[in-house]
Amino acid sequence: MFHIKPIISTLLRSKSGPLLLLAQIILSVAIVANASFIINERLALMSRDSGVAEDEVFDINIYNFGAGIDYGLQNSLDMQIIRDIPGVKAATSTSMTPLSGGGWSSTLTYGPSEESHKSAPQAAMYYGDEQMMEAMGVKLIEGRNFYPEEVQVGHPDSATKVILSKAFATHVFGEQSPIGQTLYAGGWGEQALEVIGVVEKLQGAWVNSSHLDNAMILNVELGLWPFTKFLVRADAGAMTELKPLITAALHQENKDRVIDGFRMISEHRQRVYQSHELMASVLSMMVILLLMITSLGLTGMVMFNIERRTKQIGTRRALGAKKRDIVSFFLVENYLIALVGGVIGGLLAVQLGQQLMSLYDLPKLALVYPVVTVAGLFVLTTIAVVFPARKAAKISPAIATRTV
Amino acid sequence: MFIYYLDLAWRSIKNTPLLSLLMVLAISIGIGITITTLNIYQMASVNPAGERSSVLYEVRLWSQEADSWDEMNPQITYQDGFNLRQSDIPTRQTPMFMTGMAIQTEDPKQAPLLESARVSDSDFFALFSIPFIYGGPWDKAIDKEPGYQVVIRADLNQELFGGQNSVGKVLYLNQKPYKVAGVIDDWKPSPKYYDVNNGAFNDSERLYVPYSLAPIEEYQSWGNNQSWKNESIVTYQDKLASETHWNQYWVELNTPEQKQAYEQWLEGYIAQQQLLGRFASDSPYADISDVSEWLVINKVVPEDSKVLVGLSALFLIVCLVNMLGLLLAKFLKRAPEVGVRRAIGASRTQIFMQHMVEVGVVGFWGGLIGLIWAAVSLSVLSSRFGLEESLTQLDMSMWIIAPTVAITSALVAGLYPAWQICIANPSSHLKSQ
Amino acid sequence: MLSMQNISKVFKTDLVETHALRDFNLEVSEGEFVAVTGPSGSGKTTFLNIAGLLEGVTGGEYHLDGVNIANLSDNASSRIRNEKIGFIFQGFNLIPDLNLAENVEVPLRYRGFNSKERAKRVKEALEQVGLGARMKHLPSQLSGGQQQRVAIARALAGKPRFLLADEPTGNLDSIMARQVMELLEDINKAGTTIIMVTHDPELARRAQRNIQIVDGKVCDFTLYNGGKSQTPLEQVAG
Repeated sequence: MFHIKPIISTLLRSKSGPLLLLAQIILSVAIVANASFIINERLALMSRDSGVAEDEVFDINIYNFGAGIDYGLQNSLDMQIIRDIPGVKAATSTSMTPLSGGGWSSTLTYGPSEESHKSAPQAAMYYGDEQMMEAMGVKLIEGRNFYPEEVQVGHPDSATKVILSKAFATHVFGEQSPIGQTLYAGGWGEQALEVIGVVEKLQGAWVNSSHLDNAMILNVELGLWPFTKFLVRADAGAMTELKPLITAALHQENKDRVIDGFRMISEHRQRVYQSHELMASVLSMMVILLLMITSLGLTGMVMFNIERRTKQIGTRRALGAKKRDIVSFFLVENYLIALVGGVIGGLLAVQLGQQLMSLYDLPKLALVYPVVTVAGLFVLTTIAVVFPARKAAKISPAIATRTV
Repeated sequence: MFIYYLDLAWRSIKNTPLLSLLMVLAISIGIGITITTLNIYQMASVNPAGERSSVLYEVRLWSQEADSWDEMNPQITYQDGFNLRQSDIPTRQTPMFMTGMAIQTEDPKQAPLLESARVSDSDFFALFSIPFIYGGPWDKAIDKEPGYQVVIRADLNQELFGGQNSVGKVLYLNQKPYKVAGVIDDWKPSPKYYDVNNGAFNDSERLYVPYSLAPIEEYQSWGNNQSWKNESIVTYQDKLASETHWNQYWVELNTPEQKQAYEQWLEGYIAQQQLLGRFASDSPYADISDVSEWLVINKVVPEDSKVLVGLSALFLIVCLVNMLGLLLAKFLKRAPEVGVRRAIGASRTQIFMQHMVEVGVVGFWGGLIGLIWAAVSLSVLSSRFGLEESLTQLDMSMWIIAPTVAITSALVAGLYPAWQICIANPSSHLKSQ
Repeated sequence: MLSMQNISKVFKTDLVETHALRDFNLEVSEGEFVAVTGPSGSGKTTFLNIAGLLEGVTGGEYHLDGVNIANLSDNASSRIRNEKIGFIFQGFNLIPDLNLAENVEVPLRYRGFNSKERAKRVKEALEQVGLGARMKHLPSQLSGGQQQRVAIARALAGKPRFLLADEPTGNLDSIMARQVMELLEDINKAGTTIIMVTHDPELARRAQRNIQIVDGKVCDFTLYNGGKSQTPLEQVAG
């Protein structure tokens, strides 16, 4: 029932109009496919689970500037003060805050002998105590926690036990159980760390690193420097009440310090993913506006064509074309343009994706994106064409008999 | 005649308000997005050193052992920073790093303030042409013989001393008294090119203390610390003697000869250090890069913003193609009127000009409205995403760039339709009504 | 002052060649009122378009005021149209967005007159056609006859030596047609040369001279004395 051949010849004869529409569709498909790919990739990054109870955990920074302080002692004292405050469920001294963008990481070594030693992938290092797992809300799936008496105070060199994230453990030891295995901080044989537990999930601080899921907890309360850091777990929303209590209690013990931080992990997450969120938002805005402009352009073109062909449409109607035939004429015409534009645009999208990949640090465009975009294009074309075309179908056959 | 064309353009726009609105909207959205991304990109890629850019050099050293790092580190060790000061070739030079400390004044009511600070030599201020409001840098002698002096920025001076001339007054930094040597103006280069490793768009420090005090006061590093070597670092002295990279080093070299001489000196320095057992790789070397090279090396412009500029340029093209189609439709509809004008004696050039002026007017409005879009979206971005203000401020140049780009691109889009209408045979439209 | 020798005009498309005019010869002297008749599709309008420099010729020579216009640039021929020629169309072809004064002003704009001169000429021209009081009206507010008079005023404003009229009364009822015709006659008496295409024998008869075009050729011309008819011409409806 579709008479495609005459439609094609009409299209070929009126050059510029359809050509412009084609150019617009090609570019739109190329942009939309790549943009939605990047958007999805960023959203996927942002939705990764950190393993931490993000709405219940916050961090505290203390900077002791008084002279002659034993930082180790001070740290233990502060730890106890914080734990004693009602409402605090768990608290630990820590070397770093998850998802904060800053912290400790290292590559450990392992292996049966110096000759056959291997380097483990980069992993975040949480130095803390027996309350660390509870304070972060991470789940132990194998082995055990530190015993309180195992926890050292002072220098990171004094660590002896380590709890690994599942991802890290699998990276290093594969399917075999890591419990009881040894890792070395530094070169092979230097400072042995015994693996005593595995937690289901724990991320580090650097969300753009490919090693984000590699993390470990070591049995040391750091106490070497004027800067100390704590992670505190309380009920969601309780931080606002706890903040003045904790600050006052710590200042009461020793006033020569600056206490700040008090930032939920959820807030850290938001900050650390801000640039991705920004990219995703700007691109989404672009896609929406682009679709709007393209469909408006499409509608405008169809309307213009209808106006130009008013008499022709009237003649067709006079010759017995049904309203449906008129609508399908315009639909087929624009489907043809959309098809050609979609194919070329899809190829261009792949090309553009390749360019972006080679120039910038972007992954390869998944083919499903151009395909879905082209499918969406047909839906859009239908909507943009049907309304003006239905108006065109109402043109009276009497128009044909008018002379001018 | 131009005024007449403007008048005709305005009538034509008024006569087809919907179509004109659509065109202005299309081009303004394209311009708005392009200006937004371009603004972020431009603000990030600006070289804040200005004319000093080509005489300021950042020093890097390939000091690692073989089989460790395979890239040059953007920072150097403390011991290298300390040693490089011995050269008398650079006009000015300074090692530096970022630290932080608690500030108290003699006023007991003042709550201690935790501030990041920069540790450097006295040359720092002249090196980066930092203007002083009161006083000046500490005496050069302090770079050798440690002395408790400090330079603060105007906004901190405002907070602590109410903006008075505070030279000679005392500040307590980690409870040690320091004498204020000078107050600098609100100096905030963006990107923070002298130390891009620790947040290239962060605010610059408000507090500056002598490098010579570092071993005594044991200033903690507030920046990145990286090492290729496993060393046990327990005391501050351990850290100073370690291979940890955490200092930056800048020199001023005014002539090519001076630069060459300094490069030779660095080679000599490396050879000397090798005798001491450091720089143990096959081909250790030194590299100096001026400010613009430095910004490129450190990829200060985020790749995302380049991708966005590229995509928004394509977006603008779509908007223009869209506009081209609408213009073509609009102009062709007007063919009878053009036929009359031609018959009456308008030349092709005049018809062409008339239509180009109309397109230009649409472009102008598109640019102006686009600028408003850009301003709005930038302010949304800065409030919603906490983008640094230095990146989301609408640059003055955009007031020129936006309308220029808008008008130019509109004219380009208008060329074809205007040409079509002016070559159309006038007689063919005179018969019909 | 208008001289066409062996003019030919061919329209080409991919498939067909149409000879609109062939071996076309015509001389018109200053101050004449010439009526051109002929069947539909005979080439009347083509002739008028060529005479008015709206279209070029395929062959032959066309002299206007002694100037060979065959190879004039677009700018030069536009200028001649602007200064020497006035057009009147069957469909009036007023610009609907412009009021009467602005419509009449259009050719003066292209001629580069200053606003004072333009205002003066617009006023004169509109008064001449009896519409001096309606300068601010839009064309749509006028009757057909009034619109045609505005079109005539527009043609006159530039004080052309030639007036080319293409079926000027074709869209008007007989009373209005007569008024327009009288106006044209007055203009002719004032010294302007008029060439008018029409298929109304009544009107043609009022001209000093009749030309009939058939199949792109001048096939017959009769001189009338004092506008009184002698030999009625066979008319073919257009």
